[in-house]
Amino acid sequence: MEGSDTYLIRPNHQYKFKSAIVKECIREIVRERLSGMLYDSEEVSELSRSLADDIKDKVKNAGFDRYKLVVQVVIGEQRGQGVKMSSRCLWDADTDNYAEDVFMNDSLFCVVAVFGSYYY
Amino acid sequence: MTGMEEYPNGNEGSFNSEEADGLVKECIEAVVGGDDYSLNHVNKWTASIVERCLTQLVKQGKPYKYIVTCAVMQKTGAGLHTANSCYWDTAVDGSCTVRWENRTMYCVVSVFAVAIP
Repeated sequence: MEGSDTYLIRPNHQYKFKSAIVKECIREIVRERLSGMLYDSEEVSELSRSLADDIKDKVKNAGFDRYKLVVQVVIGEQRGQGVKMSSRCLWDADTDNYAEDVFMNDSLFCVVAVFGSYYY
Repeated sequence: MTGMEEYPNGNEGSFNSEEADGLVKECIEAVVGGDDYSLNHVNKWTASIVERCLTQLVKQGKPYKYIVTCAVMQKTGAGLHTANSCYWDTAVDGSCTVRWENRTMYCVVSVFAVAIP
């Protein structure tokens, strides 16, 4: 994947994983794909997979070189239940970061989390 | 300079997801094993599950960065789907997702391990 040795242990400020930019990427894609959509159990598994791939491609193209990405999409039906999601990461807090977004409409909710880890 | 010695790194290899799977199941059992879904406790549960998993993973001493996520959902007949897409080195990085349930709730824990070169 990333073969060349740059011996950089810290990315330049411009190339850092910026949460705000990634959050915007996520927001655009999710709002576009899910507004007005109803929860349908057959469709949703394909939908969540394709959403994850699209978001990953968009973030990749936003120019975060040397960052390994993990994109997680959770879509659930709204039936008045309680849900709690949390995450913990063991990484280098200087170089690595994450971005998340939650989208809700009357029939479903969608949580997207993107984690970026710098490849030294 | 001929005959350069290569110091073999015994730990090289991909992420062992079966081992992680067993570890995570054990952590979930320990935290929410016999309990019913409770709004007051759910914050505490997700935090403990995630922290416990992370400490156990770190104890293995492998050269990995870890990302652990946990979702706890009350059982009301609603559906839930999770998907993930990762851009990494498939030879050394890996993930593992564990689905657990009891009478009143579902718990889905995902572990992503990214290698440090």
